[in-house]
Amino acid sequence: MTGGLDIVLQVGIWGLYAGCIYILLAIGLNLIFGVMKVVNFAHGEFLMLGAYVTFTFYAISGFNPYVLLVASVPILILIGVTIERLCFRPILGTGKLNEIFISIGLIYLIQNAAAVIWTDEYRIIHSPFESITISVFGVNLPLDYLIIIITTILILIGLYLFLRKTRLGKAMRATSQNRKGAMLMGINVEKMDMISFGIGAGLAGAAGTLWVVSGQVFTPYMGSIPAVKAFAIIIIGGLGSIPGAIVGGIILGLAENFAIFTIGGAWKDAISFLILIVVLIFKPTGLFGESAE
Amino acid sequence: MSPKVRDYGLVLMLIVAGLVPLIVGLNPYLLTVLILMLIFIIYSSAWNFLTYTGQGSLGHAAFFGLGGYGSALIASWLSLPPFAAVFIGAGAAALAGLFIGAICVRLKEWFLAMVTFGFAIIIQTLVVSRQFSGITGGWDGIAAARLMPGGGGTNLLIEYYAILVIGVMVIVIFWLILRSKTGLAFAAIRENELEARAAGINPVKYRLFAFLVSAYFSGVAGALEVHHLGYITPEIFGVDISFWPIIYSISGGLMTLSGPVVGTIAITIVWDGLQTFGLTYGRFIIIGLLLILIIIFLPKGLISLPDRIREYRDKRKK
Repeated sequence: MTGGLDIVLQVGIWGLYAGCIYILLAIGLNLIFGVMKVVNFAHGEFLMLGAYVTFTFYAISGFNPYVLLVASVPILILIGVTIERLCFRPILGTGKLNEIFISIGLIYLIQNAAAVIWTDEYRIIHSPFESITISVFGVNLPLDYLIIIITTILILIGLYLFLRKTRLGKAMRATSQNRKGAMLMGINVEKMDMISFGIGAGLAGAAGTLWVVSGQVFTPYMGSIPAVKAFAIIIIGGLGSIPGAIVGGIILGLAENFAIFTIGGAWKDAISFLILIVVLIFKPTGLFGESAE
Repeated sequence: MSPKVRDYGLVLMLIVAGLVPLIVGLNPYLLTVLILMLIFIIYSSAWNFLTYTGQGSLGHAAFFGLGGYGSALIASWLSLPPFAAVFIGAGAAALAGLFIGAICVRLKEWFLAMVTFGFAIIIQTLVVSRQFSGITGGWDGIAAARLMPGGGGTNLLIEYYAILVIGVMVIVIFWLILRSKTGLAFAAIRENELEARAAGINPVKYRLFAFLVSAYFSGVAGALEVHHLGYITPEIFGVDISFWPIIYSISGGLMTLSGPVVGTIAITIVWDGLQTFGLTYGRFIIIGLLLILIIIFLPKGLISLPDRIREYRDKRKK
């Protein structure tokens, strides 16, 4: 291999791009966990639905797929709110294992419903910028990856402003800090549950659109592994910590891509779990987590 | 249902299980369905055993598969009869259970779920990796000795009864453990770990024990399946194999001996029944929906259904 540095940079950008998808998923999960103390293992199905919604609208309209974020995000917010209302609210407070189990039911339901609607063929979309590359430090980077990284950063800034500056965002943070206290302050916590679930699903939908425009293939079964990794990320970063989710996402994205490069593609999935297990052995509360319950 | 009625129920089921092949006759298709059902009853019961200590696993396929590989390899290396290799090979699953249990004993709920899920993926990666594929055959897998070489209806019938005996044995072992002091300790840890510790119970020790037993018998089930099919591939570590015992146990009723049995039978009937209607994805959708409905409306599983109906009737009388 020639010139170590440009390869490192190349793999680094791949890692960052993969990290973006994971970060969007992980932050959504974290938001939901923070407010509801619920973990939705079916979160990856929102990613998959986001991808297929983008695909469908792209096939109908032929718009630039990046624009279709305005379709995938609202639709996924609606789906998320519906699922929260129908599946998670009835079991809230009945034990943590139940949440995991109901997610398994949802995984089967959503994946196969998608397979019925869109068939289980491999699908792919070609972005209009597919062949454009930009030279940075002598390395040719696909323009798509840069747009995806910038889009993710913009979404994160938007989310930050929402949580910090708006009344609704503050109410959500209050609920996640102390549910009872928030209730006493007159915050409708059930409404907060619904909104946080919706935003989480919307972020996953955005991740789905970004997945599709990067030219990766997708199937109805694509969601499970990224979702579990997103969950690994929030454990690595510490439950409920948003900076932790960002750092964890970048770590996992980079580690995976360097693993593919050094020990082989078969290790892509296993490496994330190895990192998770090692982190949990040495710091059971995650890198940024404060304390276990 | 009072405990006594439930015990009679189990005995009744056993009698039915003994008689079923006489009704089915030597139909190889139905016998195969019944054999796989028995294997999954053992597997689900082993998975369910872990929940008695308040633990749950999303990666039991790791133990199911390791038992299968262990047994297939030992049977071919030592040319042992499969029925003996099954119990030795499951030791591989038990060892893995001990290892993963040691990592997990201090973790709870989601953390545990994640580590077990990841473990199944790591094991699969190792099995197909270049370093081990010489032994494991990589993605192609390896052949395993048949439980009853030759096949045919009569051999399947013998297989069915042999596995039935093993299944009954396993459930009796679980029953003996659970009614002993160990079972009480499990319940104490599950209900309140802090108080259990104050009462002098070491949660780490009991959790490890539960992991070991659960992994071993999952390995036995995996080995039985592999020797029944005659081959093993790394797909045995798939997510589906991890999720089936969960679906079976929940639909039957968690933390009961009869729950996994009832659940496996009920879901298998639904599953194979739907197949005759030619549903492919539809089956999964229905099973997923069923699971969600059971968790929300029947949290104690199908075995609590008679109680619920009686309650409902009493309420209407008033």
